[in-house]
Amino acid sequence: MLGQVIISGLLAGALYSMVALGLGLIFGVMRVLNVSHGPLLMLGAYTTFWLFQSFGLNPYLSLLVTMPVLFVVGMVLQRLFVSRVVDAPELSSLLLTFGISIALVNLAQLAFTADLRSVEYLTGSFVLGPFAFSKSRVIACAFAIVITTGAFLFLKMTRLGKAIRAVSQSREVAQVCGVNVARIHMIAFGIGSALAAAGGTLVAVMVAIQPEMGQVYTFKSFLVIVLGGAGNYPGALLGGLLLGLIEQGSSLFLTTQVNEAVAYILLVLVLLVRPTGLLKGRA
Amino acid sequence: MKRLFLPALCLILIVLAIYPIKGTGYGVRFMLQLFMWIALAQSWNLISGLTGYVSFGHIAFFGMGAYTAGILIVKLGWPWLWASLAGGVGAVVLALVIGWPCLRLKGPYFAIAMLGLNEVLRVAVSYFEGLTGGGSGLSLPALYASVPIYYAMGLVALAVTGLTYVIVTSRFGLRLMTIREDEVAAEAMGIDTFRYKLYAFLLSAVGPGIVGGLAARDQSYIEPISVFPLIMTITMIVMVLFGGKGTIWGPVLGAVLLFTLQEMIWARFIYLHQLLFGAIIITVVLLMPRGILGVLQQKYNLPRTI
Amino acid sequence: MEALLEVDRVIKRFGGVTAVSAVSLSLEAGHIYGLIGPNGSGKTTLFNCITGVEAIDGGEIRFKGRRIDGLKPHQVFHQGIGRTFQVIRVFPELTALENLLVVTTNDYAAARARAEELLGFVKLTGLAGEFAGNLSYGQQKLVEFVRVLMTDPELILLDETAAGVNRTLLNDLLEAVRTLRDRGKTVLLVEHDMKMVMGLCETVFVLDHGEKLAEGPPGLIQTDERVIEAYFGR
Repeated sequence: MLGQVIISGLLAGALYSMVALGLGLIFGVMRVLNVSHGPLLMLGAYTTFWLFQSFGLNPYLSLLVTMPVLFVVGMVLQRLFVSRVVDAPELSSLLLTFGISIALVNLAQLAFTADLRSVEYLTGSFVLGPFAFSKSRVIACAFAIVITTGAFLFLKMTRLGKAIRAVSQSREVAQVCGVNVARIHMIAFGIGSALAAAGGTLVAVMVAIQPEMGQVYTFKSFLVIVLGGAGNYPGALLGGLLLGLIEQGSSLFLTTQVNEAVAYILLVLVLLVRPTGLLKGRA
Repeated sequence: MKRLFLPALCLILIVLAIYPIKGTGYGVRFMLQLFMWIALAQSWNLISGLTGYVSFGHIAFFGMGAYTAGILIVKLGWPWLWASLAGGVGAVVLALVIGWPCLRLKGPYFAIAMLGLNEVLRVAVSYFEGLTGGGSGLSLPALYASVPIYYAMGLVALAVTGLTYVIVTSRFGLRLMTIREDEVAAEAMGIDTFRYKLYAFLLSAVGPGIVGGLAARDQSYIEPISVFPLIMTITMIVMVLFGGKGTIWGPVLGAVLLFTLQEMIWARFIYLHQLLFGAIIITVVLLMPRGILGVLQQKYNLPRTI
Repeated sequence: MEALLEVDRVIKRFGGVTAVSAVSLSLEAGHIYGLIGPNGSGKTTLFNCITGVEAIDGGEIRFKGRRIDGLKPHQVFHQGIGRTFQVIRVFPELTALENLLVVTTNDYAAARARAEELLGFVKLTGLAGEFAGNLSYGQQKLVEFVRVLMTDPELILLDETAAGVNRTLLNDLLEAVRTLRDRGKTVLLVEHDMKMVMGLCETVFVLDHGEKLAEGPPGLIQTDERVIEAYFGR
């Protein structure tokens, strides 16, 4: 029983980590709390659904489409809107991304209606000894790990990645070293959106797709960032796994409905006790 | 200009007071809802417009008021006026419970915490199913009382606007604004920001609590989806941003303009109308952060306390 | 004579960095003190520790014999300590007068009278009704300076008040600080302007890399080898 819970927790957690990393990047680089992160994930899910329905495209292959597409969408959103509030008080960027999220959700509702959609691709479970895990969860986790590892390698090894890390630490110093900060902002938002889209694609196979599906992921991504420490990218990984474990763990004691509230209560608790995150982070 | 204002205001109030005698049923209900939105927007302004602490879950107080009043009416047979006032009290209690921990957080973190509030309350409503009727909602005994409720809503709208006037023109209000301007400096100047935020938060819950109760009575039915919907929070926010946050008449202006537009044109195209709200928020934040009143203030050099 | 403010082996760490390392200093009432040191030596952090903006990780801070470390900033303020900030923190959407009025809690008429008096003191009476955000840099500095004086604090911490201010204004500020001292107030200022510090302060503390390097009258500090090395040597 315990083993099942732990592994389920880690499976779910990996996905949370990936999506939260996207949010964390945007916050770390620009100090913007991207309330529209969930809707971006939702757009990824719908894109996967549409490709699956219209062309029969394997949803996992659609990652190759959703990630680049949402990367561009993210860059456009940043260039057109978010860039103008990067230096404004945080209230402005909060309201702005809130406005963007409303716009995205309702665009989706206009385009797809609120009817629940799903991608019926993979059903059944892998059975490993006494444990059984749904196939789509395992594969989602696998992809999440690959993508997240890729993101970290990118951040650590490439010049662009280093520039992003530099801007996260100190914008002025990065500028003085010749980094084009505006470009980095755009790219970071793009990457963040791409990671959200990847989450959407992977999730599309598992849950019902509807325009408001993203909201809970926005919130959970915030929670992960807070758990792991704002601006602490490896922290986001641990935070995600932690959230996955806690959720699966508490589901043993609580009804499904009450379990949904666990994330929210956890967030308030953590913010009160250690606002800079359980691991090291910047406020 | 200034001297015309007070008489004009009195005239409008008199007209509104006698309207139900002449007005159609539809007209009365329209105005009743407009008053409700004025009260909601004005209340949101008290916390978010003045202190800059964005309350994304403010509709929770509306829902709390609705359920408190509804339960009192259905289970204990209270008259609706008292039940609604009790709804206000219930909302303030909820605000205390939420505000006590959450207002210690800095602005952005507070906003995130409030984002989740709706969900927690929806869960709470289904958990206490016996009391609240859970997902199937709560039905009130039928009662046609549009006209008395019209007056009740109108009084609440008037009261909250009056409260805003008193606050904005007082040092209490100035201190709330310093929290928005620079919280660190405010603390350094001896202002106990937590206490001030809490007061503002509690005051901002009264209006929604009472009108929640009144609305429940008016609809004779409470459903979790209808009392905790995100769209109501969005509407409150848009009205205040559009009209002018932190001002006295901004929320009124925003409520009047947007609600009228909403009823006349957009209610038929619900997603388009929400999309437009999103677009308005984006536009206001980028182009006119102080709303319409802000633009007018700058153009005609009006005082800040309007 | 009992010290007004005692900073007793205070330690402040940020993650792996020790910003303030067992710093001790003692201020007596009615004097002007200077706190100098190269950039990053921990001066503003020390201010933040004294005023409660940052919680300390070790040591004690005592004001008039009572411990104040652990108090929240607004509580420290009410003990009788006022401060200005390195980066100007006026309230831009409030008028100059309102910036001052938000401070005191006693009756309105008295507060207003005092606010107007203080604005007159720095020759800003004409701009009392102007939004602080619209004032010039120097004017904002003055507003922030007199704002601190609204409640007549006994200890005033000034963080780089001279930065970016023209000569005339600077002289007015210096005069104001001397007047405060003559009235029995205590001033501790952080400054980069050496001439100002040496001309104004009676005792100077030098910080470097979070540690107190030296302490003494300006003349002695100027010739102290360690100080010279800290600023120019390494």
